[in-house]
Amino acid sequence: MTEGGYVGVTASSMIMTNKKLKEELESTFKDIQVIVPEDTRLNITAREEDALTILKFLKDRGFNFLTLISCVDWIKENEFELVYIITSYLQKNDEYTQREKLQIILKTRISRTIPESKTVTPIFSNAEVYERELHELFGIKFEGNQRLIPLFLEREYKIPPFRKDFDTREYVKEVFDKIPFV
Amino acid sequence: MDRRDIKKWFKEPAKMGHKYSLWVIYFCTGCGIIEIPPVITSRWDAERFGVIPVATPRQANLFLITGYVSVKTLKAIIRTYEQMPEPKYTVGFGSCPINGGMYWDSYNTIKHLDKYIPVDGWIAGCMPRPEAIFIAVTHLWTMIDKGMADGYLKYREKYKYYRKNQEMALGKLEWSPLYPRENQK
Amino acid sequence: MRELELYFGPQHLGMVGNFSITLKVEGDRILEAQANPGYLHRGFEKLMEYRTWIQNFPMVCRINVIEPDSMEMVYAMAVEKLAGIEVPERANYIRTIVLELSRVSSHLFGLWAYANMLGFDTVAQWAMYHRDLILDLFEELTGGRVYHIYIWPGGVRRDFPEGFKDKIVNTLHSIGSCIPDYDNTFFNNRLFYERAKGIGKITQKEAKELGATGQVLRATGEKFDIRKVEPYAVYDKVDFEIPTREDGDAYSRIWVIRDEMIESVHMIFKLLDAMPEGSVYNKVPNPFKWKIPKGEAYVRVESSRGELGLYMVSNGEDKPYRVHFRTPSYTHGLVILEKLLKNASIADVGNIMISLYVIAPEIDR
Repeated sequence: MTEGGYVGVTASSMIMTNKKLKEELESTFKDIQVIVPEDTRLNITAREEDALTILKFLKDRGFNFLTLISCVDWIKENEFELVYIITSYLQKNDEYTQREKLQIILKTRISRTIPESKTVTPIFSNAEVYERELHELFGIKFEGNQRLIPLFLEREYKIPPFRKDFDTREYVKEVFDKIPFV
Repeated sequence: MDRRDIKKWFKEPAKMGHKYSLWVIYFCTGCGIIEIPPVITSRWDAERFGVIPVATPRQANLFLITGYVSVKTLKAIIRTYEQMPEPKYTVGFGSCPINGGMYWDSYNTIKHLDKYIPVDGWIAGCMPRPEAIFIAVTHLWTMIDKGMADGYLKYREKYKYYRKNQEMALGKLEWSPLYPRENQK
Repeated sequence: MRELELYFGPQHLGMVGNFSITLKVEGDRILEAQANPGYLHRGFEKLMEYRTWIQNFPMVCRINVIEPDSMEMVYAMAVEKLAGIEVPERANYIRTIVLELSRVSSHLFGLWAYANMLGFDTVAQWAMYHRDLILDLFEELTGGRVYHIYIWPGGVRRDFPEGFKDKIVNTLHSIGSCIPDYDNTFFNNRLFYERAKGIGKITQKEAKELGATGQVLRATGEKFDIRKVEPYAVYDKVDFEIPTREDGDAYSRIWVIRDEMIESVHMIFKLLDAMPEGSVYNKVPNPFKWKIPKGEAYVRVESSRGELGLYMVSNGEDKPYRVHFRTPSYTHGLVILEKLLKNASIADVGNIMISLYVIAPEIDR
């Protein structure tokens, strides 16, 4: 389909790029797990200390768009999982290749009792607000981020509200339902 | 409609005046604001009912709370409401200010708006249609006529309790009480 | 001159939505701006963890009130991906048509806000009226003017009613016939040029560094659009162009919005012609006992403001374990807005903010 400016990509070439990147990652870093669940995704599980260097590595290879930083609270394992989703902008304008389709999900685990991690703002400057949000809603401290000031919340919460042990229904009963009608 | 009843205009000019010129404060409190632009533009044309949006609370006498109220917004709502000159009327638009609506278990939205400021009427639904605003306005006319829209009087009278509730939700308020004497009683 | 701190919003005429900016000003010049969101924070992602998969459909559309359909779409896509549900071909066509209609209606809303802010009241009235015509279509199709809850996992909730195709065509023709009027009064107007040219200018390099998508990026010349990059629904089967501009200022962004609207209308006509017959809904398991296998998914669609993504984790339960929306306004409103407001004048705050197309509920969630 070239009429619409869309250059079709066959599935086989897609797998090739994935495999190449996977080999390159596995040879450069130790303690890294790379899974290719489908053609357009690449899941990396790594140690927290390596996250920064892996992101730098990926950025040098053209994955220059940090889409999202998320966090999952695995309360049973007493760990937070930081999730970085990285993809790339167009390499050449007017041409859509397999490169932009590929999304890399980098996952690292940090301890839930001492939730601390390093900031990635030196590599991706738009990471600042995502880290601010996670700091507020999960209580994760990002070392090196100068601007971890409140973002959304007005009230103060004993447990950051997005953690699994914060029960919002219980909280509503305790706080808002106790306020009497006038 | 008694808009053309000249006797009434002579008898109670002030009441007739503010009844037929309900000026809405332009404050987007929640997602209900999406229905306000259609209402004030050509298709539904709220000016037929004397309803126009105004920039500052000092000019307004109708406060339309459009949608859910988060804790942070509640502060802004109280400050805006207290700046409005009397007589002032409040109408809650949408299900969320009535009882929390869809966000009944949210940790960051207040559930019953009438615990914090007096509300004269409610428009239920998510999202209410534009016509619902006009029905509410005509209801409000009747209420003003019969002296039933007395939320602002109630606020003055029971300010102590309102202020206490506000402080329960927001913590210490950084502005001084609007009615200091009532507050002491 | 003395340095002052100025609160812009949440109750302010130049502000669309419940959002506020703290400005540090010296005279008329802004030294520093700090976006101050959170007035609409409801903790959606937390609330969704408490509700079953199907109960979340009425929730997601309320995150973005201007364009709820793309929210439903991204959630439906994630659920379908995790649960392995196929969507019938006709449903995919209907989804695409609905998404494009909502893109037009959302852009008309944006045009209303922008024209109103510049003082072009006539154009604003037209845009709002034309948006209402599209809402009438939605009302007939889905039963709701604003919130539709129409796109479901496995397809769409119901088929087009009888004669609905003609209604879409008629409505879009009547809107399209007014484009010359829009052009004469607004887009080719010297006043619009003077007010918007060079305001809020961002280069392509900066935009990419700060994570811009949507019109903000396309106004700098990059043809980045998820509909082309990673086609979903039937965007790979329909032929369309990605309009771009080169300058990266407010003027370019509004022109991109206009061109996109026209492109969307053309696309809807093509989709209506190519629409196959068939069912619109694949049955899903009993929604009350529906459990979705363990896994995670990241899906993305192109909403009317940029890349809208959803990261979702399922734990094998009847409720999602974690959802996180990547909304376009988040980076536009918190990162790029703060950057562009530096050294701007106070009069341009509304201009920059509305041309960036920042929607507050999308930031706060």
